[in-house]
Amino acid sequence: MTFTDAADRHYPAFSTDACIKCNVCNTVCPVARVTDLFPGPKYVGPQAQRFREAPRSADHSVDLCSGCGFCTRACPQGVRIAETNSRARAEMVEERGSSLRNRVIADTDLLIRLGVPFAPLANFALRSRILRWIGERVVGVHRSAALHPFARRTFQAAVARRRVSDDRGPDRTLIYFHGCAVNGFETSLGRDAISVLERNGFSVIVPPQSCCALPMISNGLYPQARAKARRNLTVLGDYARRGYRIVTTSTSCGYTLKAEYAEMLDLDDPDARAVARQTWDICELLGDLHERSKLDTRLAPLDRELPYHPPCQLKAHGIGTPAMDLFALIPGLRAWNSEHDCCGAAGTYGLKRERWQIAQDVGRGLFARLRERPAPDMACDSETCRWQITASTSIPARHPVEYIAESYRRWDAAHIGEVARAEAGTQLGAT
Amino acid sequence: MPSHDAVVVGGGLSGLTAGLALAESGADVALLAKGMAASHWVHGGIDIADSGQASSSAAAAAALASLPGHPYAVLADDLPAAVAEALRRLADAGLPYRGGLDAPLEWIPTAIGGLRRAAILPDGQATVLDPWEADEGLLLVGVERYRDFWAGYAARNLAAAEWPGGPARVHAAVVELPGLARLRNLTPLVIARLFDDPVWRRSAWPLIRQAVPAGRWRIGVPAVLGLDRHAEVLAEAVRELGPVFEMPSLPPSVPGIRLHDALRRRFEASGGRLEIGFGVTGVERSAGAVAALETAAAGRPRRVAAGVFVLATGGLAGGGLRGLPGGKLEETVFGLPVSSPSADRWFSGEPLGDGVELERAGIRVNADLRPLDTAGRVVLDNVLVVGSELSGMRYLSERCGDGVALASGHRAGRLIGVGQRATATTTTTTTTRRTAS
Ligand SMILES: Cc1cc2nc3c(=O)[nH]c(=O)nc-3n(C[C@H](O)[C@H](O)[C@H](O)COP(=O)(O)OP(=O)(O)OC[C@H]3O[C@@H](n4cnc5c(N)ncnc54)[C@H](O)[C@@H]3O)c2cc1C
Repeated sequence: MTFTDAADRHYPAFSTDACIKCNVCNTVCPVARVTDLFPGPKYVGPQAQRFREAPRSADHSVDLCSGCGFCTRACPQGVRIAETNSRARAEMVEERGSSLRNRVIADTDLLIRLGVPFAPLANFALRSRILRWIGERVVGVHRSAALHPFARRTFQAAVARRRVSDDRGPDRTLIYFHGCAVNGFETSLGRDAISVLERNGFSVIVPPQSCCALPMISNGLYPQARAKARRNLTVLGDYARRGYRIVTTSTSCGYTLKAEYAEMLDLDDPDARAVARQTWDICELLGDLHERSKLDTRLAPLDRELPYHPPCQLKAHGIGTPAMDLFALIPGLRAWNSEHDCCGAAGTYGLKRERWQIAQDVGRGLFARLRERPAPDMACDSETCRWQITASTSIPARHPVEYIAESYRRWDAAHIGEVARAEAGTQLGAT
Repeated sequence: MPSHDAVVVGGGLSGLTAGLALAESGADVALLAKGMAASHWVHGGIDIADSGQASSSAAAAAALASLPGHPYAVLADDLPAAVAEALRRLADAGLPYRGGLDAPLEWIPTAIGGLRRAAILPDGQATVLDPWEADEGLLLVGVERYRDFWAGYAARNLAAAEWPGGPARVHAAVVELPGLARLRNLTPLVIARLFDDPVWRRSAWPLIRQAVPAGRWRIGVPAVLGLDRHAEVLAEAVRELGPVFEMPSLPPSVPGIRLHDALRRRFEASGGRLEIGFGVTGVERSAGAVAALETAAAGRPRRVAAGVFVLATGGLAGGGLRGLPGGKLEETVFGLPVSSPSADRWFSGEPLGDGVELERAGIRVNADLRPLDTAGRVVLDNVLVVGSELSGMRYLSERCGDGVALASGHRAGRLIGVGQRATATTTTTTTTRRTAS
């Protein structure tokens, strides 16, 4: 690695010298499109950066950045605008502190620890208009913000008695990083993911894990995020260094493991590098199996339209839209891509009292498009996007892999009694 | 690893043209680009060629084609079909253009009150090409608080300029548009999006009309007449204000974005896919050909295979060439040999006059658009080079950048279409990685 490689990776702000002020980033920014409060990535990024000496937080509007990353990808000069802005926010938080609200909503592990044991009560509170109104006034979480009900039992607790060993080796064993969404809110997605992977011949290990730390990173709480990340790296790094692949159903957790531990948190040890290299989004992994003719394609028809929205974090992976390729394998399924940039949620951004309206305005075009072509439900790879879409349109949203799981289940139901399944399962997929 | 008939690298005018030609001929084509292209910076018209004297683009292009090493020396035959096809596609996409190769090159005003010649403009700008009647004046209308269009300054410059066939008088006015006083960030995009809103528009037209003095005027406004609903805004503007035309100013260029969006929509409607943020970081070769590319992705590079690759990376401004310390130029994707004047002559010449020597740098190709080394041998069999990445032109002074992009993109589509969709053998492959700049 040369000096410039290291500099590129750890000092994204160095890249701002390449900015020629052409404004392309401002043309793709979903937040600047809807609010004048945010002057756009060029101003809070390359332009404000040159004033970030002491005090380092020269420009506070950087906090309105939702972190979608479109600016970095659109930049003709390769300036790492979003990364520069995330770090600028962290420096601002370091200098000026953070609100209690931000620290609480960024600590998903804590929320799950508090919410799940008291799920009936907590879910009642989430549904209660008066309590939500109080929550907005006192805590600063918008009363209409998309909050998913807590599960009755965490996914970790549900799988605690599964015993899966890694002795089939890295080619036939996957490590499942379920993330907070599955752990505390959407446990059935976790079960579907495991069933789809097992059907393709893999053993699936669910190791103990913490929140990936993305909510902390996007709230500028880097020291707290680093602590979470280190805990995950200790567990995942051991598998990754031995060649095991880590699979995620949360495309944003997956992106955090692949990129943000190094790019934002400066974690660049052998564990972090191995985890980055070995992490796969579940649709990416299934798509890869298919390209190598190793995917079990005994999929029963789902005769319906399926709107699909690719989240910003998925776009940041640089892997295209593998879910669309998978949908094409299910007979009768007519999936269509929303072609809209962002739903507005951006993790915890859309929860905040002072950001909720901005988030709604960002997602407006998407919501309108979904309402125009009604379907029973829609697909999206990221949980907070799903919740935002459902809260804003009343259209239920599911992870793409849930449609694969359903199609497999229907195939099984239609071919009940066929014994080929178990054998075929071991021939396919695992390499 | 995903695999396609063809992969185009670069999402500018040349890459989209090649991609469209391929997709329309039924090929499975992926278009990968590191970032957005020059389209977001330029004026949104289509420049084929201009020597300052030639009567039409066709005549100017013919003159350039006689220069040894100029891309038009190879591409001139493709130009008529390429231009016709581009104009047809744009019209189909709801962004009609006026003019053509044989249309006269007319003098038109720029946003700072300079003059340049043009023959092919989008309908939003094209009214400026009409001859000026004896009693017709030019009224430039600026927008209060919008910093990239100074109507008074431009009008003074134009009044002093020698404008062959120009209007008898030039006048300037500045209008206060509704709601702008509240805004702090007045980019052309912000104003264009306001114009997309029919309700806002209704309150804007009377304010602009009030600024028009008595008499007969043709009105020049900054290029902000709508983004997604431009055709509708333009038709309404003509109804409300009479003859009106847009004048492009500093980036981001709204007409350029419309052009990019229109081509991109066409490309995706023909089954292609444009991926932005997919800079090429490595190349997998086998036996004189390219087997696959690696693109930047989170965690690990992503590989994509194809039978044939089109290099549309835009030269120095687009990121397809890069200068190294010590005065060497490097081609950033395949490491192709770069044809370039020696470093001590790079900057000789007038940047805004005839241009500097460095502009000529690029990749030398044969008639099949295959890259050549200094001895004239084909370096990579299944790579075609198009657009501003080609050597031997000075697109700023010769005004041929768009024409070369269209003609070479068109030819690439034609060449690949006629059975050169060679599939590279993937026996012995070697991968080279380059570090992102
Ligand atoms: C400021 C400016 C003004 C101009 N004005 C005029 C004018 O008035 N008249 C005229 O005729 N021409 C003009 N031109 C020339 C203009 O470049 C061409 O007309 C035409 O738009 C070029 O298109 P292109 O597709 O060849 O390249 P570009 O539009 O530059 O596109 C290059 C593409 O390649 C991508 N790319 C580069 N490197 C990589 C990589 N390693 N991996 C993946 N993708 C990569 C870029 O991200 C981009 O998408 C101007 C150019 C500039 C920069």
